Amino acid sequence: MSSAQQHERVEPSILRQAAEGDERAFAKLVHGYEELVYRFSFQVCRDRDKAAETVQDTFINVYRKLKQFDGRSKFTTWLYSIVVNNCLMKRRRGKLQQATLAIGPTEGFRDEPLRDEDGQVIQTVPSWKETPLDSVMNSELKSLLDKAILKLPMDYRIVFVLRDVEGQPAEEVAKVLKLSVPAVKSRLRRARMFLREQLHEYMKA
Amino acid sequence: MKTKLPKCSDVVRHICEQLDADINSRQCRQIKRHLEHCPNCRAYLESLKKTVQLYKAFSPPPMPQRLLIRSKIRRARKAH
Repeated sequence: MSSAQQHERVEPSILRQAAEGDERAFAKLVHGYEELVYRFSFQVCRDRDKAAETVQDTFINVYRKLKQFDGRSKFTTWLYSIVVNNCLMKRRRGKLQQATLAIGPTEGFRDEPLRDEDGQVIQTVPSWKETPLDSVMNSELKSLLDKAILKLPMDYRIVFVLRDVEGQPAEEVAKVLKLSVPAVKSRLRRARMFLREQLHEYMKA
Repeated sequence: MKTKLPKCSDVVRHICEQLDADINSRQCRQIKRHLEHCPNCRAYLESLKKTVQLYKAFSPPPMPQRLLIRSKIRRARKAH
């Protein structure tokens, strides 16, 4: 189950009451979704204070716009759209960057692979080392992950975080960013390749 | 008729886009066969999966000033 699905649990009646100005319902909404908004914002901007500020700005916008939410899309999709707009506004840009993404060559990759005498392919692309995840992830690796993702243009970064980290379906990501599904898939492919190249030097065995 | 297996560049492109795709489609079966014989594409696939795993595993630090933020949201809402 994706993190967003876990949070798609605030009752529709709570949304309705919050939209009508019910203070307790709105507080429930904030409590129910603040972690999702904070985590997503942090994954995008890699700064806890900026992410916390985004939580604040997002819920103020949610309050102002909640009556416009018609329930045709999932609430989380609508919410992500507001967070994305807030992230973009923090960069003082009115729209997504249309930057190109330069991806370096893959070390050891050859389209005609080297073969041994028996015709077996010889491995020339280095494998990655085993690295523990999460709690024991060292600070050097954490810093590398931050630097690598911050090099991604914002639209690629948001696609990667929504799709791969938050586990949103490509169709939902397309709605959040007002892109076509093929455009989302193309950005996702390039974002994954780019990040892989950025981490390769550190991660190779 | 023998089906031509995809080249490494096709495989890399496919796995970059369809990292979590259904592996039983015709195209995926060809990709799977290629991967069985190609350590380079296997190494690439594993490193790509690891990239995603690392970002998924990177837990953000706890949200700072949660109560202060809730109170700012309340104040902004009342002022609206």
